Amino acid sequence: MSSNLLVAIGTLSAWIGAVCLLRGLYLGLSHRPGFGWPAGVGGSLFLLAASLPTFEGRLEVPLIWVVLPFTGWMAVMFGLLAAAYTGKAVLDSNPKLLLRAGVSLAAAILLVALYRADPENRFVLLRGSIRLSAEGALAIVGFAAAAVAVMASAGRRARERGRLWATHATLLAGCVVFGMPFAWLMVTSFKEDRDMASPNGIVWIPRVQRTVPYMDRKDPLLEGEFEGNWVQATLAGKDATGNYIVEVQRPYSLRGVSFTGRPSSFRVVEKDAPMVSGVGFTGFVVRELSDGRRVVQFLSPPADKGSQRTYLASELEPIRDIGLRTQNYTEAMEAMPPETRHGLVYLKNTLILVVMGVFGTLLSSSLVAYGFARLRFPGRDLIFKILLATMMLPGAVTLLPQFLLFRSLGWIDSLLPLWVPAFFASAFNVFLIRQFFVQIPTELEDAGKIDGASVLGIFWRIMLPQIKPALAVVAIWTFMGAWNNFMGPLIYVNSPENMPLSYALQLFQTEKGGNPGLMMAFATLTVLPVIALFMFTQKYFIEGVTLSGLGGR
Amino acid sequence: MKLLPALVIGWLAATVRADTHLAVWGAPQGPDSIAIAQAFELKHPHVRVRMLGMGVGQMNPQKLLTAIVGGCPPDLVYQGRFNICDWASRGAFIALDDLLARDWAATDCPRREDYYDAAWSEDVFAGHVFGVPTEADDRALYWNRGMFRQKRHQLEMAGLDWQRAPRTWSELLRYSKVLTEKGKCLGFIPNFGNAWLYLYAFQTGATFLSPDGRQCTLASPEAAEALDFMRQGYEVVGGYSSANVFQSGFQDGENDPFIAGRVAMKIDGDWSLAGLARYGLALDFAVAPPPTPDDRYARTGRFAGVQDRFVTWTGGWCYAMPRGCPHRELAWQFMKFATSLEGRLIGNRALAMADRAKGRVYIPRIQGLKAANEVLYRLYRPADPRFAEAIKVHIGLMNVSRVRPPTKVGQLLWDAHVRATEETLLGKASALAALTVEQQTVQRELDLLNGRHRYPVVSMAWMGGIAFLAFLVALGVSIVSWRKARLGRLARHEARWGYLCIAPWVIGFLVLTVEPMLASLFFSFTDYDVLSPPRWVGARNYLDMVGPDHGNVLKAFGNAAYLAGVGVPLGIVSGLAVALLLNSGVRGIRFYRLVFYLPAIVPVAASSVLWIWLLTPDTKQGLINSLWSSTIGTWLSLPSPGWLTAEAWAKPALILMGVWGAGSGMVLWLAGLKGVPSSLYEAAEIDGASPVCSFRNVTLPMLSPVLFFNIVMGFIGAIQEFDRVYIMSPEGTNGPSDSLLVPAKYLFTNAFTYFKIGYASALAWTILAVILLITLVQFRLARFWVHEETGK
Repeated sequence: MSSNLLVAIGTLSAWIGAVCLLRGLYLGLSHRPGFGWPAGVGGSLFLLAASLPTFEGRLEVPLIWVVLPFTGWMAVMFGLLAAAYTGKAVLDSNPKLLLRAGVSLAAAILLVALYRADPENRFVLLRGSIRLSAEGALAIVGFAAAAVAVMASAGRRARERGRLWATHATLLAGCVVFGMPFAWLMVTSFKEDRDMASPNGIVWIPRVQRTVPYMDRKDPLLEGEFEGNWVQATLAGKDATGNYIVEVQRPYSLRGVSFTGRPSSFRVVEKDAPMVSGVGFTGFVVRELSDGRRVVQFLSPPADKGSQRTYLASELEPIRDIGLRTQNYTEAMEAMPPETRHGLVYLKNTLILVVMGVFGTLLSSSLVAYGFARLRFPGRDLIFKILLATMMLPGAVTLLPQFLLFRSLGWIDSLLPLWVPAFFASAFNVFLIRQFFVQIPTELEDAGKIDGASVLGIFWRIMLPQIKPALAVVAIWTFMGAWNNFMGPLIYVNSPENMPLSYALQLFQTEKGGNPGLMMAFATLTVLPVIALFMFTQKYFIEGVTLSGLGGR
Repeated sequence: MKLLPALVIGWLAATVRADTHLAVWGAPQGPDSIAIAQAFELKHPHVRVRMLGMGVGQMNPQKLLTAIVGGCPPDLVYQGRFNICDWASRGAFIALDDLLARDWAATDCPRREDYYDAAWSEDVFAGHVFGVPTEADDRALYWNRGMFRQKRHQLEMAGLDWQRAPRTWSELLRYSKVLTEKGKCLGFIPNFGNAWLYLYAFQTGATFLSPDGRQCTLASPEAAEALDFMRQGYEVVGGYSSANVFQSGFQDGENDPFIAGRVAMKIDGDWSLAGLARYGLALDFAVAPPPTPDDRYARTGRFAGVQDRFVTWTGGWCYAMPRGCPHRELAWQFMKFATSLEGRLIGNRALAMADRAKGRVYIPRIQGLKAANEVLYRLYRPADPRFAEAIKVHIGLMNVSRVRPPTKVGQLLWDAHVRATEETLLGKASALAALTVEQQTVQRELDLLNGRHRYPVVSMAWMGGIAFLAFLVALGVSIVSWRKARLGRLARHEARWGYLCIAPWVIGFLVLTVEPMLASLFFSFTDYDVLSPPRWVGARNYLDMVGPDHGNVLKAFGNAAYLAGVGVPLGIVSGLAVALLLNSGVRGIRFYRLVFYLPAIVPVAASSVLWIWLLTPDTKQGLINSLWSSTIGTWLSLPSPGWLTAEAWAKPALILMGVWGAGSGMVLWLAGLKGVPSSLYEAAEIDGASPVCSFRNVTLPMLSPVLFFNIVMGFIGAIQEFDRVYIMSPEGTNGPSDSLLVPAKYLFTNAFTYFKIGYASALAWTILAVILLITLVQFRLARFWVHEETGK
C-alpha cells in the first residue's frame, strides 16, 4: 500500500475512533444504555490507527493538517456555517434561517476573495502525526476530559456527578495555570544558583550541593565580631604586631570588608567544603587557587583517601542531592544592609504605610461617601460626577507636579507623601462605599434624628456599623495596594531606613539579579503575609463586594 | 559649676564628630563597592559612605531626575559614561574643571593622560569634564576554536585557514557561511553579543555628528556601508527574524548560544568572559580583534593612510557629581579615591575574594585607568591561557577604541540608530533611506535645542497666579450660588454638613489633582527640561504630535488600540469564565479562589521575571513554547511563536499575561454573580431553560452593569498600560519594531530620558482627551444594552 493511502486510512480511523470513544464515554457517564459498542469500536479504530506502520514504526497517530492563513480559516468556518443553516432551514422548514445562511455565505465569499487577493496565501496540505509522548498523552487525556465535561454539562438533565467532576477537573486545571507562578516562586526560592537556568529545561526539583565539614588550619575560616555584628571571615594576612587582618565572608551585607583583630578574638570554625567527583575519584574542594584551579582532598578511592591534588574546575563535577536550599532565606536576610536590621526596618515602614493608609482611607472615604450618599446640598451630583471622572486621570499627568508639591513641603525621603494622601479619600473607594450607604433605609437615620443625634453622631453610631462589609473590602484593597506599592516609594524615598518592603524587593531584584534564589526567597517572604491575609479574609472580601451593589443592580 | 562647660564641650564635640553621610547612587551593591567605601571611611573617620544601588548602573532616570530637581540629590552618581553628556548638557552635573585645576599638582588627582583617550573623552562636553572613568569595556571577536577544528575540512575547502579568526568583513562572511548549519548552528550574527551599528560604523569611519555637534550625520555613506554589511551578515545566516530567536530571553549562563555551540563567532564585550569562566570552561574559544572592512585592513582605498587597522568601541562607567551635591568637597575626595589606582585595586581584590569564595574563576574587568589594567593583569591573570590571552587582547584594543559622540541627544541618537538598523534588517527600507529618516528626527531635536534661547522664559509665578485666579473665581461662584440658593434652615444645616463631609476629598482634589493638572497643562505649552526654567513655545508641542512626530504617536495609540481591542474582551471573557467556575459551590472553593487570586497578589517584581521566563522562545527553556512544540507544534506543524522577540507576537504575549491576571477582576464578577437573585434562576428552570439559555437570558442582563464597569475600566487601564510594558520590553527599547510602544511608555521616555517634559505633558493631555472621548462614547452606548432595574 502506498504510504499516502495508509495515512489517509489512519487519519480517518483515528478521527472516527476518537469521536466514537468520546460518545461512548459520554453515554457511559450519563448512565445511558448502549455505550459499549461505540467505545469498543472507537477504541479499536484508534488502536488500529496508532499501530499502522506509517512513521518509522513508532507508535503514532497519523494526522492530516491543512495550513491556511487566518482568512482561509474564517472562510471555511463561514462556509460550514452557511451549510449548517441551510440544512437546519430545510429540516425545520424555517425560512428565517435561510437569511442567516445567505449572510454566512456572503461572508465566506468575501473572505475567499480576500484570501485570493494576497498572493502570499497558500494552501498547504501537511502530513503530521500525534506522537504518543508523555505530554501528548497528557494533552489527549486533558482534551478528552474537557470534551466529556462539556458533553456531560450540556445534557438537558444535567448529571450532577459528571458536572461536579467536570467542575473540579476544570478548577484543578485552572489552579495549575494560575498557581504555577507561585509554585515556581517557591521552588526557585529553594534552588541553587546553577539550577536557575539549565540547558535541560526547567528544574522543578531543587538539588543541593553535598558538603563535608572541614577544619582548614592552613587557610582558616574565622568567626568573630565586627562592629557588633557576628562575622565569618577568612585570614588575609597579619600586621606587624601579629594581629590578624581578616576579610569578611558572612554576613553578606559586609562581604568584602576587612578589619584587624587580635588572634584571640577569633576562633577557627569548620568550613563546608563542597563534594566533587572526577574521573575515578570523589573528594572535596579544600581551597581555590588564585588562578581558579581547585585543591581537592580525596575521599575515594580508599587508597588515596586524605591526599590532595590540584584540578582545573572543568575536570570536577559537583555531587548534589535532592533537597531544599534553605540558606537562600538566611542569606537574603543577611544581604540586607545592616542598618535595616535584616529587613526588619523595611517591614516596619511597610506596616506604617499599611496602617496609616488603611486608617486614613477608611476614615476619609467613608465620611465623603456618607456626604454624597445621605446629605443633600447644592451641586452634589455635579461634584460626584467630577469625582467619578478623576478615576480616568492618567497618573503620569500629575506625577512631576505632585513631586514638586511634596518637595516644597519638605517631605522627600520620608513616608509622608505615601500615606498622607490616603486621608483625602480616593474616588474608587468613595464610589464603592457610597453604593452601600445608598441602600440603607432612611428609617434608621430618621430614628437617630428624632433622638437628637448630630450628623456626625448618626454617621458614626448608626451608619458606619451598617457598612462593615464595604469597609472590610476597602481595607483589604488598601492593604494590598499599600503593601505592593512600589512606584510611590521609588520616587519619594531615598535612604534604606525609609524604604518599604516593595521597593526594597525591587532594588534587591536589580542588585542581586545575578542571584535569583535570594531574590525569590525575599519575594516569597514579602508575599506570604498578603496571601495569609487573603486566605483569612476572603469571606468578608467577597461578601463585601457582593453587598455593595456593584453587582447586578 | 564645672559640669556646664564640660557638657558644652561634650556637646560641641558630639556635633563636630557626628558622622557625615556621603550618599553614592548607582554603584553596584557588590563587595567592591563595600570594600572601597570601607577603605575610604578608614581614611576619613567621621564619614559614612552609603552606596545605594537604586537600580544598578542604568540608574532609574526618573529617580535621579526627581532627586536633582527636588534639591535632594545624592553626593555622587555612578553611571554609564554614555548618558553623562545628555544630563550634563542640561546642567544636571557639576563640571569638575576647577576641582581638577585646583588639585592638579597633587598625586591623587585624576589626570587625563593616565586614562585611555576614549574613556576620558566620553565625559567631556563643550570642553568641561563631568565624570572620572572607572571600569571600561571594549568589544572583540569571540570565536569557537573547537568548532573551527571540527569543520576544518569544509573551511579548508573554502580556502580558509581554520587556525585563526577572520580579520576582514569579507572573510567573516565566508567563515560564517561555512560554519552555518541550518537548525543547528549559526556562523556569525552581526548583532548578537554586543556590536550594534555603532561598532561597524566606527570601523568604516562614520562619525554620527559634525565636529561642532550641531549637525547629525547619521545618514553618512560610511554608516550606510556598515549597515549594509550587517544586512549581508544576516542574509548569510538565513535572515534577521530567524536569527533573532537566538538573541532573546534567558540566554545567560550555560544557555548562552555561544557557549552551547550554537553560534560559532560573536562580537562581545570583555564582561562576557565572566560568563565563559563560569559556564564555558570546557569550550575551546579564542578572542581576536573585531574583523574590519577589507580596505581598512589592507590600508587601501579611502583607508590608504589610516593608522589603526582594527577599531573597536568602548563604553564604561564613571563617577559624576550631581547639581546640588550636599558635600561637594567630600564627594570629590571620594571620587578621587574610588577612581584612583588604589581604589580600583581594593575593589577588584574584594571581587576576586568573593568570586573565589563561590568557587569561581575571577576575571578582572578592564579599567579606564591605564596603570590599573597592567597591575590587575599581573595580579589576577587566570591560569587558563585562553582567558589570560583574551584579557590581553581586550586591554590591547583599548588603544584603538572609539566612543559614541558626547552630545545633548545621545540617547535619542542611540534610539534612532537602533530603529534605523531594525528597519533596514527587516527589509522595510534601504540602509541609506532608513538612516536618513532617523537623521531627520535627531537633527530636528538638535535644532530645537540649539534654538531654544529664542523662546521666552516664563516664570512659574505665572502659573501660580493663574491657579490662584481660578481658585478665586471658583470661590466666588460658589459663594454667589450659595447665597442665591433658596434653602430652608434645616436644608441649610444639612448642606453645611454635606460640604464638611466631602471636604477631605475636595481639598485633596484641589491640591493633589487640580493643581498638578493645571501645572502639567501649563508645561504642555512650554519647552521644559525640569533642570532649567521653562520656555513658552505656544502650541508647538501639540503641533509636533500631529506634525513631524505623528508616526510615533499614531503607532503608540495604534498599539494601545490593539491591546484594548483584543485584550479587554479576552480579559472579560476569561474573568467571567473563572468567576462562573468559582461561583459553583463545590467543596474546597475557598482554596480554589485563593489560587486563582494569586496572580493578583504576587508582586510585579516577581511576576515579571516569571513571565520573561515563561515566554522565552527557546523550546528548551520557555515553558509555554516547550508545551507548544510538544503538542500544537508537532501535531499541526506550526512553528512556536517568538513572543516578545517577534513583532507579531509581542502584543499577544502581553495580552496573554493580562488574561492570566484575570483573577484580580474576579472579585467584582463574583460579586455580580452573587447579586443575581436565585429566584430568577429558579423561574428559568421551571420554564425549562437550559443552562446556556438561562446564562444568556438571566445572568448576562443582570451582569450588564458589572460588565459595563469592567469594560470602561478595562479600556482606561489598557490605554494607560505602562508597568508591564516597562518591565517586559528589553531594556531601553519598545519591543521589536516598536510593537510595544504605548502612549504612557512614550510619555515616560520623553519626560525622563529625552528631558522633554513639555512634550510629555502635551502627550499626557492627549491621552486624557482620548480616554474621556472613549468613555463618553461608552456611556452613550450603554443606554442600549446595560440593564437597569427600573422602579428603583
